[in-house]
Amino acid sequence: MDDETDFDVIIIGAGFAGASTAFQLLKEGVEGDRILVVDRGEPIGSKNLTGGILWGRELDDYEEYLGNWEMDCPGIERCINHKKVGFLNNEDALFIEGRFASWDGTGGTDEPSQRSSWSVLRAKADAWMAEKMEEAGIFVMGGMKIDQLHIDGLDHDSYEARDLTDPSEDSGKGSAQKWKVDNLPKELVDKIRNGSISGIVQDGEVMTSKVVVIAEGSNSVLTRAYHFDSMLHAQSKDDMLLGVKEVIHLGKEKIDERFNCFAGDDERPPSGMAMELALSLYRDMSHDAWEKYPNTKGLYPRCGGFFYTNRDTVSCGIIVQLKSLPEGLHTYDLYQAFKAQPAIAALIEGGEAIEYGGHLCPEYGLHRMPHRFTRDGAVVVGDAAGLVFANGMQIQGMNNALHSGKLAGKAIASCIANGDVSAKALDATYTKSLKASYIFRDLKRFEPATKFLNNPANFTWVPELVGKTANRVFREIGEEKVPAEKVLRKVRKEMRAKNKANKKGMGLFSLLKLALTGRKL
Amino acid sequence: MSESIKLGLFTYDVKNGLGLIGYNVDEHEHAHIVVETSKCNDCSHMMCVWGCPAQCYNFRDQGLEEMKFQYEDCVECGTCYIMCDQGAVSWNHPRGGFGITYSQG
Repeated sequence: MDDETDFDVIIIGAGFAGASTAFQLLKEGVEGDRILVVDRGEPIGSKNLTGGILWGRELDDYEEYLGNWEMDCPGIERCINHKKVGFLNNEDALFIEGRFASWDGTGGTDEPSQRSSWSVLRAKADAWMAEKMEEAGIFVMGGMKIDQLHIDGLDHDSYEARDLTDPSEDSGKGSAQKWKVDNLPKELVDKIRNGSISGIVQDGEVMTSKVVVIAEGSNSVLTRAYHFDSMLHAQSKDDMLLGVKEVIHLGKEKIDERFNCFAGDDERPPSGMAMELALSLYRDMSHDAWEKYPNTKGLYPRCGGFFYTNRDTVSCGIIVQLKSLPEGLHTYDLYQAFKAQPAIAALIEGGEAIEYGGHLCPEYGLHRMPHRFTRDGAVVVGDAAGLVFANGMQIQGMNNALHSGKLAGKAIASCIANGDVSAKALDATYTKSLKASYIFRDLKRFEPATKFLNNPANFTWVPELVGKTANRVFREIGEEKVPAEKVLRKVRKEMRAKNKANKKGMGLFSLLKLALTGRKL
Repeated sequence: MSESIKLGLFTYDVKNGLGLIGYNVDEHEHAHIVVETSKCNDCSHMMCVWGCPAQCYNFRDQGLEEMKFQYEDCVECGTCYIMCDQGAVSWNHPRGGFGITYSQG
């Protein structure tokens, strides 16, 4: 049976989801030379970008292939033992800081299991993982963009790859979007959307496999084109985040000193700081924009900031909810305003930006998942499947990518062994285990977070109120001391009086509502 | 609030930041994004312009009468494709080996 197809499994995308699938297949006994991993990056990793923090020790599962990944992988930067949450307005910054000795704290712990998150640079990490895959005997090919999937009984010349991404002439607006491929004969469209997938097509050449794994990442052309996710979703800016970040070089010593990090030794990785921020920086910018572009008057961009220490660089960036972006504000200007906030500017002072980049991040939650994770002969994993958890304080995608890859690897190996790789068989194994996994349980539990995050208060007046209150509580100006609660009320009153737009939004009722959704986080 | 931190006055040349990234630019005939700029004239919101983190789209925000798109600086995030509801943006990944090359990620 092995000779019927070129490979048992072809994996599109050598990111964490793809690599995890490949390693798990090896563990399940699939021969390395029956697995092909293709990636459009040359070198591998050069198309990838993360914020980014990797949570959990999922990589330990592949110790036999990765060895001591904590110390050896160049893209695994610092172990996070030190976490900060901040509220920023234009002037004030309030940080809540946690340093945890048990997370490889001040002096470092010898217990690896306590180290459970790392700052990551993906271009470097993915290149290293690809090397490890090759060492384990897996075929890995970089610089390969997959145009089309091979579908049984379908001549790939009968449609262009471009048909799948080009809007059709009669394209409507928004959710009524139609695609060129919709104009093809119905029989053909049905095959493209529902036929049995059995390989990939690249530059007109077909490579066949029993199962194709789509691990393309968040901007997944194939997931959309081959109808795992509906076309409606593809065209929607709801629940999509754009990350804009810079990698800024500061040098290892400066980072150790400035952020109070453990320098690391022969056995332990250096420690680092991770910071996530609620931003209300954009009031003035928004008001300027509304004057020029009154269409979106009242809309403030909902942005979060992040700041992570790597070995000798820091990752500094923002995450923008695309649906909240008002006309008149460029996302790159939003990022620059974040960088210019005095508290952030101080952290990157003396640093030199060495890379700028942008990347999409799905924030689907359970309500907007792709409507299927499998087709006959194919599964979709990781970001491509929208398996990202976001609750406002953190965005977790990489551990979910690794975990979904692991589940896919197990499922595919058993389906191949049983000689049935139909969507039904893959659903009964992969989709079932995915839905029972912590990924889905997390998403379910944090469904209220979506509501909380969609409340504009969190991106406008709440961080400002917190910052201003802290400003007054912490300051000694030779006046009578008043309890913090009183200060908070006073600041709230002042802010309401100063800004008419706030008046309604800052009512006690909306505060209560916010608190009620927030407590479920 | 002091003027120095009034962030509304921010202007930034994003092309400085883009200068830091490595690109292997493909020829025009293989451009991975094709924009039918004639459709942009009817667009009321230009969300591609505001969303794109690499300033690949220039239009009325820059005082231009017509949409001017260039794919060369694209960071391949896909934001424009998601923001456009006029059916003007056709998005594909660049050919293997072409486009942006992150060295950090």
